[in-house]
This record gives sequence, C-alpha cells and structure tokens, in this order.
Amino acid sequence: MDQNRQGARASYVALAIFFAVWVLLPSAVRRLNREAFAEFQAPALHLVGKSRDLATFWEKKSRSTEEMAAAGRDLARINAALEIKLNALEDVRRENIRLREITRYNVPVEYMSVVARVATRDSSSWWQRIVIRKGRNDGIRPGAPVVFGNTVVGRVTAVHLTTSEVDLVTSPGFRCTAYLEGDDQNHIVLVNGVAANSLGTAKARVSVIPRDYSMPAGQPARVFTTGMGGVFPSRLMLGYLDGGTYATQVGNFKESLLIPSRDLYNLQEVSVLVPLHQNPGEALMQGDQFQ
Amino acid sequence: MKESSDTRVLPSTPVERLRLYGVFFFFAAGFLYVVAGLAFRQLVQSSDLKEQSDTQSRRVVLRPPARGRIYDRNGFPLVDNRARWSVKADLASLQKEFRAEYLRLLAAEKARDAVQVDREKLMEDARVRVLQGWLNKVWFVIDETNRGTKARKPAKLAPVTAPGERQVNIEDLRKHLRERRALPFTLVSDLAFPGTGQALTADDGTKSVARFIEQFPVEGPIRLESDIVRTYPFGAMAAHVLGYVKDTDELPENVDDISEIRLESMQKLHYTGKTGAAGIELSYNHVLSGLSGWELWSKTSSGYNQTRLKYSEPQQGSNVPLSLDYRIQLAAESALSKVKDPQGKLLPAAAVMIDVHSGEILALASQPSFDPNRLADRVSANYYEEVEKSGGWLNRATQGLYAPGSTFKVITATAGMRKKVIDWDDALECGPSYRVGNRDFPEHEPAGFGEVNLDKMLAISCNVWNYQVGLRTGIEALAAESRRFGLDTPLLQTVSDVESGRLPMTELPYAANRGLVVPDREYKLRIGAGAWNDGDTANMSIGQGYLLTTPLHMACVAASIARGQTRTTPSIIHDVRRDGHHVGAEPIGLTQAQLDALRGGMVRCVEEGTARVARIPGLIYGGKTGTAEYFKKGEKAHLAWMIGFAPAKDPVVAFAVLVEGQLDTNTWGGKTAGPVAKEMLETWWPIAVKANQDEKTDGSR
Repeated sequence: MDQNRQGARASYVALAIFFAVWVLLPSAVRRLNREAFAEFQAPALHLVGKSRDLATFWEKKSRSTEEMAAAGRDLARINAALEIKLNALEDVRRENIRLREITRYNVPVEYMSVVARVATRDSSSWWQRIVIRKGRNDGIRPGAPVVFGNTVVGRVTAVHLTTSEVDLVTSPGFRCTAYLEGDDQNHIVLVNGVAANSLGTAKARVSVIPRDYSMPAGQPARVFTTGMGGVFPSRLMLGYLDGGTYATQVGNFKESLLIPSRDLYNLQEVSVLVPLHQNPGEALMQGDQFQ
Repeated sequence: MKESSDTRVLPSTPVERLRLYGVFFFFAAGFLYVVAGLAFRQLVQSSDLKEQSDTQSRRVVLRPPARGRIYDRNGFPLVDNRARWSVKADLASLQKEFRAEYLRLLAAEKARDAVQVDREKLMEDARVRVLQGWLNKVWFVIDETNRGTKARKPAKLAPVTAPGERQVNIEDLRKHLRERRALPFTLVSDLAFPGTGQALTADDGTKSVARFIEQFPVEGPIRLESDIVRTYPFGAMAAHVLGYVKDTDELPENVDDISEIRLESMQKLHYTGKTGAAGIELSYNHVLSGLSGWELWSKTSSGYNQTRLKYSEPQQGSNVPLSLDYRIQLAAESALSKVKDPQGKLLPAAAVMIDVHSGEILALASQPSFDPNRLADRVSANYYEEVEKSGGWLNRATQGLYAPGSTFKVITATAGMRKKVIDWDDALECGPSYRVGNRDFPEHEPAGFGEVNLDKMLAISCNVWNYQVGLRTGIEALAAESRRFGLDTPLLQTVSDVESGRLPMTELPYAANRGLVVPDREYKLRIGAGAWNDGDTANMSIGQGYLLTTPLHMACVAASIARGQTRTTPSIIHDVRRDGHHVGAEPIGLTQAQLDALRGGMVRCVEEGTARVARIPGLIYGGKTGTAEYFKKGEKAHLAWMIGFAPAKDPVVAFAVLVEGQLDTNTWGGKTAGPVAKEMLETWWPIAVKANQDEKTDGSR
C-alpha cells in the first residue's frame, strides 16, 4: 500500500518536474523540439497522402469498361469546349503581348509556382489547416500564398524539410485585403478567418465593407484579392459574399461572411506561389518574436 | 460508563443551564444578525450595491458615429467618409513585455551602481522602448521603400530616424495612460497616410494598409482597427463653404436605452470623435453628427477592459444636400486660379453664381483657399500658418468687404429713375470730368463721352453721368435705395426658413454680419469723419467712398434686377420645394421701359461695352463691370468687379466676380474679372441647355 502511494507520488513529482523543465526551457529549444516532432511526423504524413493516392488509383482502376467509355465521351465533350475557349484565350494572349510591346510594359514574374499534393488536413476544425507534401527542400517559404487554379486556398504558416503547414482562408490566422465585385470605387475590405466551434462550419469574415455598398443584383458578389499587400497576386478569387449576412452593421461599416469558392477540405493538390523576393512580413515571421 | 459521560455533557445545575442558554442566545443573535444583514443588503440595498458594483467593475466606451455626407445639387458627394485604418497596441497584452523590459533596465541600472533609481521613470522608459520596438516593426512592413530583399537573405529592420509617427510620443503615452488606459494605444493613426498627414495618392495609401494587413502577424498585441474619417474628394474645392472638422471629446451620446449606461457615476471612456469646425460642417453639425455607439465592458482589477457585455452600434448622421453644382464650382475655381500677379502668385478673388429664381447658390468660390483633407485629422501647425499667411481662411465671397465700384451704378440709376431725376431715355452731357465743389471728379476716359443716356452709361460705365444723377438724387435716396437692395443686411444669417415654414437650412456659416457699410450723413458723423458733402455723394454714386459690400451681395443685386425685384434670399441648401420667395423682396419700382433699359444697358455692356472681353457667342447676357480703388499699404490698388445675369431673356442665373488687384498688377473690371465670369457661364450654359432639353423631353412624354 505504502509502495503504491510512494509510486503515485513519484509520478506526480516527475510530471511536475517535466512541466517545470518545459516551462523553463528556452524558446529556441522548444521550437527545435517542435521542429523535430514535425520532421518525425513527416514520413507518416507522406505515407498517409500516398496511400490515399494509391486508393484513388485502384478505385479508378476497378471501374468497368462501360464506365470508362462514358467518362471518356464526357471528357471528349469537355475537351472540345475547352479547345474553343483556349483558341479564344490565345487571341487574347496575342493581343496582350502586342499591347505590351507597343506600350513597352514588362510584367515582372514575381512568383515561382510549386505544385504540391495535400498530405493531410488537420483533424481539428478549430485550426483550419492542411499539410502539403512539399517543404523547405522544394523552396517553399513561410508566408507564401497557396492557390488552386484561380482560387486562394490559404497561406503557408510553417515550413519543414519535406512538408509545410497551410492556414486555410477560414483559419483565424488568415488575413488579407480584398475588393468586392460591384464596388466601382474599389474600397479595400478585410477578409479573415473565423474560429469555428467544434461542430460548426468554418467561415471567413469580410469586414469594413462601406455602408453604401450594395451587392450586384441576382448573384452573390465575388471577392477578389487586391494584390496590393505584397503577398497575394491581384484578382485571385477568395469566394462569395454570403447574401444573407452582408448587411450586418458593425460600427460604421457592414460585415458579411465569406463562402469559399472551393471545398477547401477536399483539395488533393494545390500550388504554392513562392515569391521570388522576400517581403518584410516574411522577415518578421522568421523572427523569434512571432514564433 | 456511558451514562456517566452523558451526565458530564449535559448541564445539571441551573447555573450551567443558564450559561448554556447564554451561549445559545449569543450564537442565535449572531446568526440572526448575519441573516438580517444579508436580507437588508439583498432586499433593501440591492439596487445601490448593484450600482456600486457596476460602477467599480464596468465601464462604458463610446464610439463616435460616422458623419453624414454633403452632396451637391445633383447628388454628387462633396464630402464623404473613408475608412481609416489605424494600428493600435493593446497595453493589457503588453504587460509582460513591459515588465521584462523594466527588469532588464533595472538590472542595467544596478550594474551601473546607480545611487538612486527612479522606478517610475524606468517603467515609463520600458513602456516606450517596447512600444517603439513594435512601431519599428509596423514601419518595417508598411514602408514602401522596403521593397523586399532577394529570397533567403533575411531583411533587417529599418533604423528608426524619421520624425512624427515613427517615434512613440512620450507625452501622448502619458496622457493615454492617465486618461484612457483601458483603450488601446495608437501607434499609427492613419495607415493610409502614415506620419505625414498629407494626402498621398490613393494607391499609396491603400498599399500601406494592404501591406500591413497581409504582412503583419495576425496574432499578438498589435491590432488593426478601422473607423471613419472625413474626406473631401475634390480637395480644396468649395472649402470655404464645406468647412472642415476637428477632434472632439464630446460625443453625441445615445445611452438612454440601457439603465446601466445611464449611471452618472459609471466611468465613460470615449474614442476621439469629430465635430464641425467651420463651414457647413460647423453650421450643420447638428444634422451631420449621428449618435455614438456604446459598449459596456467589464474591467480587470488593473483597469483594462476584459469582456464586452453589451453594445449598441453608432448611427450615422443625416446627409446635407447643398445647392452647389460641382461642375460650375470647379469652373469658377479654375477660372480664378488663372488670375495671377506678374510673379505668378494667385490674386485674392471671389466668384459667386446664384439661381435667379430660387436664390440657390450654384457656385461660391474664394481664393486663396485651403485643403480640408489636411485639417480632417491632425492640423499641422505648418499648414495652419501657411493658410494663415496666404489669407486662405477668409471667405472673400461672403466675408470680404469691398467697395463695389462701377457695379453700383445700377443702383444709382435705379435710385435716380425712382426719384424721377432722370428717365431711361434722358441724355446727359458727359465731359472728361465733373466739378463738385472745389474738386474735379474725373471720367475714366480722358476725352469724355459726350451725350450719354442710361443704356450707353451702363455699356461704357460713364462716371460723369453717375456724378450728376447721384447729386440730383441725393445721399438720402441713394442710401435708401442701397438698403432696399439689402446692402446693409447681413445675408444668410438673418434669413430663416422658419419664416417660410421650412426647416432652418438656408444659412451659410460665413455671413458678413458685421462691417457692411451703406454710408449716410449719420454714419460719417458717427465715425468722426465730419459732415457729409457732395463729394461724398459723387463718390458713392460710382460705388466708391465709404460703401462696403460683399461679392455675394452684388450677385444678389444682379439676381434681383434680373427678376425685377429688390431682394434675393440666397441659400446654400438645395430644396426642390423652394418657391422663389425672397424675404423682404418688393417690386423694383421702375416702369417696364426703365427696367428694360436698365437690363438692356447691361446686355450692351457685354456685347460692345466694357465687358466685351467676356462675350460668349450664342449666349446673350447682361453684365456690368467695375474697377474700384482701394488702399493697400497706403497706396492705391484696384478691385476688379463684374456682375451680371444670364441669359438676357428670361434670366436663370446671376453672378458676381471680384479680384483684389495688388500694387503691381494691372487690374480692371472687364479685363480681369470678365474672363472669370465668362468661364463660369461657358460651363453653366451647356448644363442649362441640357437640363432644359431634358425637361422638355420629360414634359412631352
């Protein structure tokens, strides 16, 4: 009996000592510990992502010839439609080049695109975060925007050797400026994620909407990046204003919720737009103060 | 054994029982006292105690409302609100950092073997250093010159050397900690225009805001807050009419709907709001100000806000529709800006255009002016002095007092005809001068004009005709006629729509409510200048001497003549229900032939007379020029005037232009003021034609 009590007491003491040591550890050591854990976890995350890819592959492989033929026909139709669009875009591209030559306007390439598969999504709806299978080895840096096509997915918040963590648009740690469709004066509004409760749907909030702004009739207004903050390229889609909430008055402005334009939880692949030049914000993110 | 123990516990003697009852009674009394006390506090004192508790543990924070907008007559915004993004430090979250910095400084002091350590000063230093560190980071992000470095080469924090908002102001911090400790401390008050207070381009402002939002870490003690600030989209346009705003700590409260907030003793903190400081912003402050929003907060033991318990949103103020037409206003100001001295410096000047029928002011410009955007936030002392030095605060259109010069001749002629000393077709011999007493009063044409009637007098602005008519009419009739036209009546402040049953929304802030002079015998005696003589009458007949009026008054005179009346009530507020009623107006008192001759002479003045430089092909209109003398630094200089109405048939608008000539400028009524009037009318005319066509189209539908 006494031995049991002594054993229990020793456990508590050990736990207390562990916490005390953890609290007193320098932040650099703790950060190193976190990094080490992330690197330790990385192979498992890779394995999960690759297993899922393999499962998808076999699921598709097991489909019948009829199904494949039907899918092939649908694909051919879609290809034909896209071919026409492509031709039209080619004309626009040539005209664009011609105009740039006339005006001697050179658009500098500001970003390097790195395509990455999604390894896993953080199971907690609180954090709204995904992990991608590319990291520091692939040139990814913290703060880089993450997109899928023309849609903003989120922003890289932590980079490890072979994986990176991405805060989704709906994450409380995400913040960017945006323009609203139908606002001729291009007032900038603020988009930031909202912490979801455990069973709720994650959302983003659009705030500082001018009080006299009115949504275009008949359709939800699109929300675009401004390209002015030095992080996101301009005119990327963030989502749509939720029509039911856009008139909420907060202070001297209106506020609304943002409906992301893609299902952020079911993304398989994303592109990381790594800026060629480091911006001041990135330098701050790498500072001790912000870790 | 058991029994014996029982007998030991229970009192057996009366004395013991008495003691026991005494103890019971003591405890019962104590218990009752406690219960009664609790009941008293719960039932009787509960409301007082709750009030005390609320007072001690809660506070109200008032948030200023957005002010209403100011529009022109077509609904175009002249004064608007824009989002102001400010960076603030949450002092409660920074407590640990303050403490750590304080301990570091203290250790450094002790290491120096400092004899006496001023701990309060040390704490203040610690706060400043921590806040400065954060401010440096903010600037590092928003500074456009930090365009980034090549990847993988970490950027360095820029050194902080620039003045203004790049340095934490110790006085501001002290004041904040003293008065508003619970509110976040402002590091950068306006991200769009950081530190300068001057308007950069809209793009630059937006970039600073966007860079902070996207690049500065979301988490941490540094917050981004947005509120509303006044903006004047046209800059200095109509600045004297619109006015500007200033900071105020007295917010329009809207706290009647919740009992906790009404507690007088409850601490109320407020963000700085805005109130009108001049112009319409001041005179319609009661309309433009909305109602403040409030937030009820619980507070921590150290006085910082903890949880927001209840709140109410601020309510924006009402809008004010002005009668100005921004296109005509811009034209007036553009025309005035071309009036310069030989060194290229702007000449002080004013221009007014009013609607003949309603009296609504379409344009009211005064030069030099100021940019209200630069006064909307913090007024820089340099800018204040700059405006002061240029004379830009004075609204010359309504406050400037000037001799009207030859534009007054329309009143002299009216007075003469009403007194029947001359008729519209009478001709007078007008030589090179006219002798009054011992003095020859000159004509501006050395050869004289020969025989001159009313029509010709107005066209060529003959002085001698007016000397003769003025002397025949006499000072009493001349002064009476001036008063009939309202030259002694301050405009816009005495006018009240209450008289016509409307809201009092017609007053202008800058009324010339003192200093107007319509001289007569009593006036001259009163100012100690001696007895009135014929020379004074001759002077007054050509708008010189003691007579002082404003450009707005002269525009009203032109409008009144155009309508065949004596008074015009100008209004700066647009109201489609305005019925053309003018306070104190009466028929001009001339026969139709006399009135036609008066207006015809003004038309001839433009077509072939002194205002022919302002002739506009396709638009026949009436005008009268004037060149008055005034003394500047003891030497004679000239005021250039032109008044008029347009078009000649069925006049719609009337105008007045004044330019203050300098000692070295060659300033003449037609030559200097004429082009300004011409440019205003050239802008107004197509607008009027189009409006007329639209009206006809609407009518025919």
